[in-house]
Amino acid sequence: MRNDVWLVILGMAAATYLTRAPMFLALARRPLPPRVRLWLRLVPLAVLPALAVPLVLVRDGRLALGWTNPALWGAAVVFVLAARRVNLLASVAIAVAVVALLRALA
Amino acid sequence: MTQGLAPGARPPCAGTVREGFVASLALVPSVFVYGTVFGGLAVQAGLSVAHVLGMTLLVFAGASQFVAVPMLATGAPAVAIVVTTYVINMRHYLMAATLAPSFGGFRRAWLAVIAHVINDESFAVAVARSRPPDAWIYLGSALAIFAAFTGGVVVGVSLGGLVERPERYGLDFAFPAVFLSLVAVQLRRRADWLVAIGAAILATALVLVLPGNWHIVLTGLVVSAVAAWTLPLDDADTAPAGAP
Repeated sequence: MRNDVWLVILGMAAATYLTRAPMFLALARRPLPPRVRLWLRLVPLAVLPALAVPLVLVRDGRLALGWTNPALWGAAVVFVLAARRVNLLASVAIAVAVVALLRALA
Repeated sequence: MTQGLAPGARPPCAGTVREGFVASLALVPSVFVYGTVFGGLAVQAGLSVAHVLGMTLLVFAGASQFVAVPMLATGAPAVAIVVTTYVINMRHYLMAATLAPSFGGFRRAWLAVIAHVINDESFAVAVARSRPPDAWIYLGSALAIFAAFTGGVVVGVSLGGLVERPERYGLDFAFPAVFLSLVAVQLRRRADWLVAIGAAILATALVLVLPGNWHIVLTGLVVSAVAAWTLPLDDADTAPAGAP
């Protein structure tokens, strides 16, 4: 593992505290404007797919949209299970098993 | 705070730490499992037990911790990891602003500590019980959630070292799987779907042309902002987010 892990963790801690403390300590009494509230609510819904989908669809710098891509099947499985409120551990474990199985068969 | 009230009486709408704790027990198993999965995968990815526990205590924000681990493991620049963490956790501004007025009677030193344990689940519990949320209910819930998550991580790091050669079992896929399940449980309104699908398409296009991990932050900020300032506003859309 790289040697700057503690530095990264401290940076993450500072960045996260910066999202929690300022408005809390200011005891802000006025609510944020509606569009800002909507934006802050939507940010994680944009970040998480931006992170996950390329990990599934892109292999070695090119699109892997074919049905022989095991990750595509794993993604479909975990998405459907989680949307049906199957718990996190079970959804992820089943999807991981599907990917491992398809890789073994390939 | 209770001046003028009969001994033993509570001011109207005031909850207790115990009430908040008990109200959060239904969420404890899933938060614990979430912590266990994180601890296990982080150790698998090559982080030391001290790193995993240190991150959990100092950052205490599950989604961003999950995101940081594969970035650390694949050698992403420190700045990219910290900026990505910030963007994922920007939602705390919304929660902090909603909670703040309920904490008017607290000392600043305590506020500085309490701020650190702002989390989605406790926010959802406190807001579901009363508007404005009750400070003591919120604190009781934060106590339960903090204990559940860190406890889960401790169990996870002890289990995580058991598996050798994780890629053989498809465990590298666990990270995208966790991210996708976090998205799936949050998709409720039309705006949510539009943002998630738009982000998936833009990020996939950007990752083919941009170096490093910048497609994540860029897509996260741009797609959510475009949606927030172009979609019609209805009251439901601007309600503070509940727990995923």
